[in-house]
Amino acid sequence: MTVFTRVTTAIVFFVMAMTAAASNTEHVEHVVEIVAFKFVPNTLEVKVGDTITWVNRDIVPHTATADDFSFDTGQLKQNELASITVTPSLSFSYICKFHPKMKATIIVE
Amino acid sequence: MNIKHIVLAVVLPFLASSTMAADSPAELNDLEMAHVAYTADNIDIQYAHIALGLSSNPKIREFAATMIRDHEAVNAQALALLKKLNAQPQDNFLSQSLVDGASDIIDELTALRGEAFDKRYAENELAYHKAVNDLVGNTFIPNIENSEVKALFEAGLEIFKAHENHAEMMVESLK
Repeated sequence: MTVFTRVTTAIVFFVMAMTAAASNTEHVEHVVEIVAFKFVPNTLEVKVGDTITWVNRDIVPHTATADDFSFDTGQLKQNELASITVTPSLSFSYICKFHPKMKATIIVE
Repeated sequence: MNIKHIVLAVVLPFLASSTMAADSPAELNDLEMAHVAYTADNIDIQYAHIALGLSSNPKIREFAATMIRDHEAVNAQALALLKKLNAQPQDNFLSQSLVDGASDIIDELTALRGEAFDKRYAENELAYHKAVNDLVGNTFIPNIENSEVKALFEAGLEIFKAHENHAEMMVESLK
């Protein structure tokens, strides 16, 4: 193996290692649709740093509000959306403030 | 009998029947059903404004605010659809009957205060949504002809069922 081949191989491995590391820390964009008075999906598994976006598809306004108010999208009219970034202290369950029977769960891994 | 008389004899009964008012909910046309739904929405908005004026119970006030927000949103969609269809809702016996009934309820509600008001408002919201949902689900939706009007009524029914559940929860919490 020539010096040039050894250097090239080392660079290739280095780039592959860096790519793998980057993909491990890549943050995921999650979307929760509000349809027919339901949060879809109803349970969402996320990691710290991920983003959750709620989109309201219903005619009437809704919110996604943590039980402990650690997050609150505010009023979302039809087709409006709001996003939050997942933090370690994010609440596990949330509701629609206007329609308290609408409940859903976030699991932070 | 000349030709003119024969034509009139055939056409007049037809015209009379085509403009004859329906006397049962299932016989209402799409535009009359739209009028009933719009009227029912506005009645519930009126009840909600009374609740916001008379109740200090946070649960009642939140529910009333939701009724105003939701029913106004549904009405806005209904008006937008009617505009698109270039149509106007048509007044009818059922809309008038709803308005008459609401007038009595409004008299009753405005005479109450405190817990008595809260309980009566919650009970009326439950009964009202049950009655309207039954009418929309079992009588209107199966008889609506226009597919877009039908889709809006189906979406509306989902909303009003959620209101019925919410009202049920409110009635239970006030027992």
